[in-house]
Amino acid sequence: MADFPLYARSGLEHLLQPGHRGDHTGEPGVAVALRNDLALAYVLVRNGKTGELRTRVQERFGLRLPMAAQHSEDDSNPNPDGLGFVWAGPGRWLAKTAAQSGAALETTLRNELSGLASIINQTDGRCVFRISGPSLREVLAKGVPLDLDPRAFGPGDTALTLVGHISVHFWQLDRAPTYEFAVPRSFAASFCEWLLAAAASHGVVVRTA
Amino acid sequence: MSEPISASRGEQQPHRLGGGLINRSRPVRGLFDGKAIEGFAGDTLASALLANGIRLVGRSFKYHRPRGILTAGPEEPNALVELRSGARREPNTRATTTEMFEGLEATSQNRWPSLQFDLLSMNSLLSPFLPAGFYYKTFMWPASFWERVYEPLIRKAAGLGRASAEPDPDHYEQAYAFCDVLIVGAGAAGLAAAQAAARSGARVIVCEQDFLVGGRLLADDREIGGVPGGIWSDAVVAELNGRPQVRMMTRTCVFGVYDSGVYGAIERVSDHLPQPAAHQPRQRLWRIMAKRAILASGAIERPLAFPDNDRPGVMMASAVRSYLNRFAVRPGQRVALFTNNDDGWRTAKDLRRHGVEITAIIDSRPDVPAPLKAQWSDARVIDDGRVSGTSGGTGLRAISVTTRGGRQRIKADTLAMSGGWNPDLGLTCHHGGRPVWRDDLAAFVPGQAPPGLTAVGAANGRMLLRDCLAEGSEAGRKAAEDAGFVASGEDVPRVDDETFAVTALWHVGGHKAFVDFQNDVTADDIALSEREGFRSVEHLKRYTTLGMATDQGKLSNVNGLAIMAALTGQAIPAVGTTSYRPPHIPVAIGALAGHHRGKQFRPFRLTPSHQWAQQQSAVFVESGAWLRAQYFPRPGEKDWLETVSREVRTVRSAVGFCDVSTLGKIEVHGADAGAFLDRLYINTFSNLPVGRARYGLMLREDGMAFDDGTTSRLADDRYFMTTTTANAVRVFQHMHFCHQVLWPELDVQFASATDEWAQFSVAGPHARDVLARLVDPPFSIANADFPYMGVAELTVCGGIPARLYRLSFSGELAYEIGVPARYGDALARSLMRAGEPLGIVSYGTEALGVMRIEKGHVAGNELDGRTTADDLGLGRMMSSKKDFIGRVMATRPGLTDPKRPKLVGLRPRNAGERLYAGSHLLPKGAAHTIENDQGIVTSVAFSPSINHWIGLGFIVGGATRIGETVMMVDFMRDSFVDVELCAPVFVDPKGERLRG
Repeated sequence: MADFPLYARSGLEHLLQPGHRGDHTGEPGVAVALRNDLALAYVLVRNGKTGELRTRVQERFGLRLPMAAQHSEDDSNPNPDGLGFVWAGPGRWLAKTAAQSGAALETTLRNELSGLASIINQTDGRCVFRISGPSLREVLAKGVPLDLDPRAFGPGDTALTLVGHISVHFWQLDRAPTYEFAVPRSFAASFCEWLLAAAASHGVVVRTA
Repeated sequence: MSEPISASRGEQQPHRLGGGLINRSRPVRGLFDGKAIEGFAGDTLASALLANGIRLVGRSFKYHRPRGILTAGPEEPNALVELRSGARREPNTRATTTEMFEGLEATSQNRWPSLQFDLLSMNSLLSPFLPAGFYYKTFMWPASFWERVYEPLIRKAAGLGRASAEPDPDHYEQAYAFCDVLIVGAGAAGLAAAQAAARSGARVIVCEQDFLVGGRLLADDREIGGVPGGIWSDAVVAELNGRPQVRMMTRTCVFGVYDSGVYGAIERVSDHLPQPAAHQPRQRLWRIMAKRAILASGAIERPLAFPDNDRPGVMMASAVRSYLNRFAVRPGQRVALFTNNDDGWRTAKDLRRHGVEITAIIDSRPDVPAPLKAQWSDARVIDDGRVSGTSGGTGLRAISVTTRGGRQRIKADTLAMSGGWNPDLGLTCHHGGRPVWRDDLAAFVPGQAPPGLTAVGAANGRMLLRDCLAEGSEAGRKAAEDAGFVASGEDVPRVDDETFAVTALWHVGGHKAFVDFQNDVTADDIALSEREGFRSVEHLKRYTTLGMATDQGKLSNVNGLAIMAALTGQAIPAVGTTSYRPPHIPVAIGALAGHHRGKQFRPFRLTPSHQWAQQQSAVFVESGAWLRAQYFPRPGEKDWLETVSREVRTVRSAVGFCDVSTLGKIEVHGADAGAFLDRLYINTFSNLPVGRARYGLMLREDGMAFDDGTTSRLADDRYFMTTTTANAVRVFQHMHFCHQVLWPELDVQFASATDEWAQFSVAGPHARDVLARLVDPPFSIANADFPYMGVAELTVCGGIPARLYRLSFSGELAYEIGVPARYGDALARSLMRAGEPLGIVSYGTEALGVMRIEKGHVAGNELDGRTTADDLGLGRMMSSKKDFIGRVMATRPGLTDPKRPKLVGLRPRNAGERLYAGSHLLPKGAAHTIENDQGIVTSVAFSPSINHWIGLGFIVGGATRIGETVMMVDFMRDSFVDVELCAPVFVDPKGERLRG
């Protein structure tokens, strides 16, 4: 009943107080914000339905379901807020949008993709960090074991890997560079501590999303 | 650039010369053994010590012989000092690679009371009794002395320096880097390779362990393309720095070659500073992924083995050049040279150019090339000669030289020696390859290198500068090409003339001819090793400890095995080398740990109500990576037992809630979801009605019980599975294996939901009343509408989506409520407020455990991987109508043997006595031997419900022996208690409270 309203908390409030920390000589090299507004859901294709699923996604949402490690947009400017399907492994995608709640996204996908894919809500299972800044690649190099040089990884690319023994799924949004890192919620504080420690040498500013 | 600085500047630095690559506008001061020393930025501690006239820097490991600076590089075996003080004190630091900084404090090691007068130098007198391996023949009798006398003595004698016992105040980092071509070493060959590779546009990383780039070009007077070598290398570096895809890393040593083009490197970010700058690490460990790599690590000059060759003042000939040309320091005033090769004569030229007196040039070859001798008509040149001894106490004063004509004594305060050059090829052997012997070089060169790695220059046995430049350039071009870039060949610049020839001289003969300086191993020790039968190179190493010190034999390995070859009449290739393994140089453990130390040692996982629990002063327990609230002490409670008992009593008499979010939660969807679960679990789930939950047990493939949990059906094609906290990841991996490998034809999709939902158990007679205040109409939580084992999707607290499960682990009327994890904190607070009038309490894992033991529910302690479904009393759950993982193997005779211990309850005969988990169960009165062992106690708790200790365990015969008294035996805690076997349930045996 409404006598006991529930409010949302990320559990990272004490770590992500807004402000500039670490090296203060010059502009901060990294900016971090938590994306509380993103709804996420796994789209797991049912046996033998990949072709039909791609067609259905194109018809209903006007989007191309990526078959390689990419964000769904064809161009190099993925829409950070609109609906997207990020490749998450063979036969699986992470649907994301800022335009709906987790429950609404789940319902929408279950209706539109019924019979072709199983939809599993992941909105609260992840904390999503939006990180950007001129020194970001040097900072990420301290934990991300992948080649993030523009020659090898760019806007629209995605990868799943381990950062300090924590599974992450991340994608690049633009050339600033800006990335979003989806981290399992229970590990988010541990990941956040690593990120802020790694970024301290370049100065890091925490923003509200 | 030749005369010494005049006396007005030189009193503190009497051996300082003009010129060099030091920065005279930045003087620095430090302390060595408490005595002030002066130098300049660009000095190493070694060069500053020499400039200040200090050449006694340590005492050798075993014999405490006085030792001086032997080299100018990382291969230094003698000049090992304790650097810094307090928490940053580092032992065994090489003075030759320590950059001078203002306020540097260094202390010599392994001497008492002082370097000059070391009492333990008496060991030298005992040296006949302390040869290699003496400890294999001593410290044997009496046996009572082993632990009380010999071990403490040996521990005190072992090691050279002392580490600080305080926590390291600095932090360390790790980082990944990617490139097309990695260049290891920025000397002539490395720079040529880097230039050629970089011009193709390839991504190039250059790692140079020195703080300056140039390698031997920094120390030798060479000409490349008509300009001094240093000018040439500056130009190449400027070009490389101008290319954004090139990364130049100085103070960075590549120490290991790993699989798949992965290289380990250590960057000494702040070692040269009094302390790291704000937010900077002390050191950084790099994992470099390179498509191709070029090893241009150069070569290390080899000492000569002659009696008393370890006296301070005896120095490598190339090191003398480094000190003269790079550091502007005169190692001595009257220098003799002993060489078996052409390169040693270069030192004589440089000494003359700097105005240092040369007292003799001794070349061991009878056929010294005439061009070398041509410029030395005014000097004392001795062909076919050997230095056969040195004298002078703690500093060289004279050498003995032997020729066919006899022996003579020649005054000298410094002896520059050169026995040839060993390519620094360790990295080429990290994948098990062995180097190849070259008679013409009297040295090993790389053999089969790891894939993707090419050695060039002196590291590859090229002893002429022109060849180094040519080979480096071509290798750089080829590496870029292999990585997919178009690279054109480069013209090789003209260099000044030089020759190289060497005639091997392994042992001049005589005693105290040192081969391994750091571990005090002489040629006599090698002969002893051969006499004792330890002739293979591997035995030689371990018997004598040659090559086992921190320099890992960089100066000693080749001399050692060559001497053994001569003793055993073999060719050197037949003796071979020992294995080279990473790291090539010592690497601090802190750098390998990086960020992961202390609390960050491994990732931690927090529950959604963690912060709330912290505010309630909960005591936490580590459960794998999770932090879970263990119990919630209230002021005035004297110990955990009092707190936990209160929590249990309150739950059973009123109501309580507990965060159970850590249990594994897996969504299982799809047309074949039910069939999939049927194959995983021993019981059936495909017939579970929608809106119901069922307890399930799954086995491993070998038939042993694996994990249990309750699985609910939310829709025809949607299940929600749970696992134990400890096995969540293992079960998930098992499901992936089954789906991907065993049954890919099943149309099932699943994903982890453990972090998606904040989940709380709400248990006790008032559980329904509390939840009724939270669930939104029109949902009815009445018993008739939502019976035991029911499941529903609903909303709570004014529209928040939630799931409610009527499950009970505690045996009370109970539910589990799940909300999206972001609301977990708020739900905990709302449960407290909603339940306050009903006396609600929060309870932790301890109370959770007490209650499940009171009800006889098996958990991790019983599901330890050694018990079967039948042992657990769950054999009847095994379906006979379907196949499932473990079904067949569970029928093995060993797993169906009726004599296997079975689950049973335990209570002490005497109510006041305590039970201990891990104890064994033996028949009463039987001897306490393994033959009489009948079972084990797996779980114990103090039950506040019946006011005594209770337990669960396994015993032969199990339930058939209920009522019998047995003995609980615990040798560790010295406890022997009579226990009565009973049914494994202690509260509400008929389970009436569940269904109320």
